[in-house]
Amino acid sequence: MSEPAPTVYLVDDDISVLRGLGRLLAAAGLKVAAFASPGEFLRSFDPAGPGCLVLDVAMPELSGPELQQALAARRSELPIVFLTGQGDIPTSVQAMKRGAADFLTKPVDEETLLAAIRSALERDRSLRKAQEELARIERRVASLTPREREVLERVVEGRLNKQIAAELGTVEKTIKVHRASVMQKMGVRTLADLVRLAGRAGVKR
Amino acid sequence: MIAAACLTLAFIHLSIWARESTRLSHLLFAILALAVAGLAAAEMLMMRAETIEEFGSAQRWLQVPAFVVVVSTVWFVRTFLGAGRLWLAYTVCALRLLSLIFNFSTGVNLSYSEITGLRQLELWGGEHVSAAYGVFNPWQRVAQLSLLLLVAYVMDAAFTAWRRGDRDKRRRAASVGGSIAFFLLMAGTHYGLVLEHVIPPPYVGAPAFLAMLVAMGYELGSDVFRAGRLDGQLRISNAHLQESERRFGAMADAAPVMIWMAGTDRLCTFFNRGWLAFTGRSIDQELGNGWTGGVHPADLDHCIRMYSDAFNAHRDFSMEYRLRRHDGEYRWVLDSGVPRVEADGTFLGYVGSAVDVTDLRKTEAEAAQQRNELAHLSRVAMLGELSGSLAHELNQPLAAILSNAQAAQRILGRGAGNIDEILEILKDIVADDKRAGEVIKRLRTLFRKEEVRYRALEVNDVALDVLKMMRSDLLNRDVAVRTELAAGLPQVDGDPVQLQQVLLNLVMNGCDAMDGVPGERRLTLRTAAAAGGEIEVSVADRGRGIPPADLQRIFEPFVSTKTEGLGLGLAVCRTIVAAHAGRLWAANNRDGGASFHFTLPAKRDSDERTGADRLSG
Repeated sequence: MSEPAPTVYLVDDDISVLRGLGRLLAAAGLKVAAFASPGEFLRSFDPAGPGCLVLDVAMPELSGPELQQALAARRSELPIVFLTGQGDIPTSVQAMKRGAADFLTKPVDEETLLAAIRSALERDRSLRKAQEELARIERRVASLTPREREVLERVVEGRLNKQIAAELGTVEKTIKVHRASVMQKMGVRTLADLVRLAGRAGVKR
Repeated sequence: MIAAACLTLAFIHLSIWARESTRLSHLLFAILALAVAGLAAAEMLMMRAETIEEFGSAQRWLQVPAFVVVVSTVWFVRTFLGAGRLWLAYTVCALRLLSLIFNFSTGVNLSYSEITGLRQLELWGGEHVSAAYGVFNPWQRVAQLSLLLLVAYVMDAAFTAWRRGDRDKRRRAASVGGSIAFFLLMAGTHYGLVLEHVIPPPYVGAPAFLAMLVAMGYELGSDVFRAGRLDGQLRISNAHLQESERRFGAMADAAPVMIWMAGTDRLCTFFNRGWLAFTGRSIDQELGNGWTGGVHPADLDHCIRMYSDAFNAHRDFSMEYRLRRHDGEYRWVLDSGVPRVEADGTFLGYVGSAVDVTDLRKTEAEAAQQRNELAHLSRVAMLGELSGSLAHELNQPLAAILSNAQAAQRILGRGAGNIDEILEILKDIVADDKRAGEVIKRLRTLFRKEEVRYRALEVNDVALDVLKMMRSDLLNRDVAVRTELAAGLPQVDGDPVQLQQVLLNLVMNGCDAMDGVPGERRLTLRTAAAAGGEIEVSVADRGRGIPPADLQRIFEPFVSTKTEGLGLGLAVCRTIVAAHAGRLWAANNRDGGASFHFTLPAKRDSDERTGADRLSG
């Protein structure tokens, strides 16, 4: 299954900078979507697709850090590469704390910029991969019957079949059947794998 | 007694005439008085006569003073009233002369052909006088006719003088003409009645003539009195004039300025001691056009042109030129002249004063230089605060250029370049390069330290330039700027850099005032035409406002409400605005926040900067 090409979103209210950066990234073989204002970007941005955002810090209407917050509110983890015309340290620290992928000072050399974009895209891809995996696990957890989930919760806690049977008021044999079913549904062979998956899915009593 | 009175009068007027020989009327009056005295003496002799011969002789000789009385009356009236028909005057005189001839050639005298006897008459006082009786001389009608014509002549002269003259002359004509005519008629009538035996003799003519003399003498005397009074007044006002001239001279010499005067022909007529001491030249060297010899050759044309133009228009003038001092150094003097005009508007020339303003101008120039240096320092300090923002302004075009150039390299490197795309990129690079250049130029202008240059500028341009420079700073600080720039404002005469500095300062202060204040951070920049041909620029913020006690104090140097800040910004702004002949003040807004306003006078076409500028030039 081939992934769709990631999109590099460009947002800068300075049209000439926007055009120059757009040309450079396109010439470097990237798929670019350029916007002159944060609003325009938010209207056409699709969180489902892979990509990253190259964002100017200082813009009227909505500043870079504010856009970062707006994206977080939409549960988007689109990596952001900040660009600034001035080495404003407090702003950059704040942005990085909030999870900015990088913080570059204009004028920025193509190598630096492309490297930052590449690592941002890489980060996006791994983020998306992790998210997908998590989603798969969660789907598996969701496919368990209530009884199977009760059994799983107790297995993860490290209880023995006998203890679980006593707790649930049944016989050990029944627990064994449920446990096999859980292993199968979760697609694991070992107890260690099951515990790891359940941990990632946040299964808890 | 009558004779004595007449002699006194005669003596008085003779003495007046002797002193002022132009007064012919006094001489004539004196002659008249002497004649009347003679007349009285003759009549006395007649009344005292013992024999017919004595009486006849006295009466014959009486005609001599009578002749003189008539003739002198004629000419007195003519000189005193300045009127009277000449032919009538001559006729009267001729008839009287004829009467005198008949007096000596016919009968006993003009009155009697023959005297038959004398009578003694008793008068009221018990005194006895002689009176004659006999045959009347028919030729005496000629004398009577001459008297009638004399009356006619006098009346006519009096009327003419009345018609022509002013109030004073009219009174004189009425009293002199009236009294002469009245007393002549009275004397004539009396004489006629005695001759016709209607009333008893004796006939006495002298008292009537004396009364006439007194009336004439009163007029003549009041004339003398008036002349004397006028003479006194003239003497007093002459003394005043001399005193005030002396005072002017003393004041002019004591004054610490140079004073000059010129006549209507533009030639100078006076220079005070101060002027002569300054130039070290003599009054004769300066008088007329001599003073221009001390004017600096380079200023001479300008100086003479202004002087002549003002003179032609009778207008005040004020000019500066260099004048050579006694030590040979040329000094700047400020010379002001005003036209001298009499109460009735007659132009008399000019009076003016000049002061040496060289030191004053030097001090002014030094103060201006210090002000400019301080302004420069303050500007540099302010630019330091703005450096981040200015770096942004510069980095934007640089970033675009770099990206475009590297994009082009990639495109060309691939070998599949589209020429049109490359051209497009190059065009963008050129535009961005220019944009970066503009930023640097603006910066350099603000940083540079050169002479202040006043020129005509649009206030709105200055405002827009400042906003361009502060764009990213305003963004960073999340300040929205609203501009209300009036269209069609007149230009101002100012230094663009200094005015930008003032506005930058006010805008930055406004932003600072809104730091940490909740609510919308909005700055309103407004330009408008104000009263008196001025232009008002204001910057209004929505900050905390200024405590009323500080509204004045914030313009003092080293007073700052901010934690960091030298406290020079507003003080410098105020000196800059003052140097532009404007005012800078602060006020709190009714709906919160403070606003700073400054005014600048609209540039006039004829504005010519002198003084400090000229000194350096």
